[in-house]
Amino acid sequence: MSSVLEVEDLQIELITEHGVVRAVDGISLHVDPGETVTLIGESGSGKSTTAMGLLRLLPPDLAVLSGRAVLAGHDVIADPAAISGLRGRVVGLIPQDPMTALSPVHTVGRRLTELVRLRLGGTSRHQARLMARELLERVHVPDPERVLDHYPHQLSGGLQQRVLIACALVGEPELLVADEPTSALDVTVQAGVLDLLMELQERTGVAILMITHDLGVARLVSDRVHVMRAGRFVESGDVERVVTAPTHPYSKQLLAAVPRLVHKETPA
Amino acid sequence: MITYVLKRLGQSAFVVLLTVSTVFVLIRMAPGDPATALAGPNATAADLAKIRTQLGLDGSILSQYLTFLERLFTGDLGTSYSFRAPAFDVVIDRLPYTITLALAAVALTAVIALPLGIWMSRRADTGREMGANIVTIAAQSMPEFWSGIMLLTVFSVLLPVLPSSGFTTWPGLVLPATTIALLQVALISRLVRREMVSNLTSPYLTVARAHGIPERRLVWGYALTNSAIPVLTALGTRFAAMLNGVVVVEVVFNWPGVGSLVVRALETRDYPLIQATVLVTAALAILVQLLIDLMYPLLDPRIRLGKATAR
Repeated sequence: MSSVLEVEDLQIELITEHGVVRAVDGISLHVDPGETVTLIGESGSGKSTTAMGLLRLLPPDLAVLSGRAVLAGHDVIADPAAISGLRGRVVGLIPQDPMTALSPVHTVGRRLTELVRLRLGGTSRHQARLMARELLERVHVPDPERVLDHYPHQLSGGLQQRVLIACALVGEPELLVADEPTSALDVTVQAGVLDLLMELQERTGVAILMITHDLGVARLVSDRVHVMRAGRFVESGDVERVVTAPTHPYSKQLLAAVPRLVHKETPA
Repeated sequence: MITYVLKRLGQSAFVVLLTVSTVFVLIRMAPGDPATALAGPNATAADLAKIRTQLGLDGSILSQYLTFLERLFTGDLGTSYSFRAPAFDVVIDRLPYTITLALAAVALTAVIALPLGIWMSRRADTGREMGANIVTIAAQSMPEFWSGIMLLTVFSVLLPVLPSSGFTTWPGLVLPATTIALLQVALISRLVRREMVSNLTSPYLTVARAHGIPERRLVWGYALTNSAIPVLTALGTRFAAMLNGVVVVEVVFNWPGVGSLVVRALETRDYPLIQATVLVTAALAILVQLLIDLMYPLLDPRIRLGKATAR
């Protein structure tokens, strides 16, 4: 089975006010169909830059990419133009902050029907709306008919994230890049969104590249993890192995940083 | 919604009254008076006194003002001294010309500045954008009497393709509207550019791009609709300002609008005509502003009129 995504020695240099920064420094990874690979690391470790770089969403004048990143047979580093045919069809993005990720002046229905009609030429407005409704049902949005006529600001963050997942699903992609999909959401809502992603994966076999700083999330969803620090992978492997027996000092640090509820003996 | 409109109309009426009252007092405090302007150079002191009594200018400013208010509420704005006709009617006769010119100027500004601003936003911080900026700012910096006369010289005299003055045919609109638009393009195009750049780099646009929305649609369908409010506000405000008369341009092109009327009214100290012009144009400008505000909820669903909005 060939990989959906194969990355070899990816380097990303960002041009900032303080000079050129090597945000991603020679990482290699692959994501196979139906599996979830997680990049975990602290802020500034380069994990989101990796995700945005693979989708070629970094400003071309401020980011220099090198190496190889093959998405469904197309090297998007060597041929940046190829990505425009892949976005929404082969690869979908689930963004970090759903609250700023939808155009404020377009209704959910307009957004979804636009994508439906873009993917399936010759769909009538009515048909597209029915399909949009179905998509919202698939991501468990309650009362989808009503939500179609809502503007983003009328929805909660969790619902907005579900709408965005529906948007990403329109083209039935092979890979979802989830860039900290739950970090802007309330804890109670986070679990629902993660459940949904795993359910979709089970149903459609979509591969997921998960970006997170949250060990709990990584442990819940991943098959394999790459622990990232300062643009490099310091440890890679099966999620349970990395969590239970980390070999690299940074992984140990990361694990130790998880707050624990320690049961303390209270004096009687 | 209706309460909001009524409240705004009430406020507007107050603002208009305040404006007219200020003008009423100021023109009477300024040097020169209508009697000397009307009677001519050879008038005696007795002639002047007689004219002042006829025009009701012999009392104090306060008593004149009270008479003015009393008549205002019966819908009478007085008789123009120089036109010997109701001042209100004189202004209303001229208004269509100014509205036509203002509409043409705003439309021309939009037609040039919108594509230019979008073009600039796609080339932000490049030499070509700088070039466009230099040209538009140069156009903005030219005084309109000069640019107007230059346009006249080129297009009516050297190449006699367009009429030089008055408004008898539609081509007569081209030169005055262009003169005004030259002043507005720099401001509006840079506003469009700024709004477009901020929308084109916003998270929602990046996500839409990731969903595979084509680049053309991102620019025209997403960034542009999200830039609409500030740009339309600016255009509307320019339009409202032009309704007060585009004085210099109207004089240069001998345009029969409110602007040239106001110049004549001031020259002859035609108090009722000045007051009527101010009242009508101020009321109109405020109404246009109100209409723009009423459009906001249609352009941005987050805005609800009469309520504080969190953006």
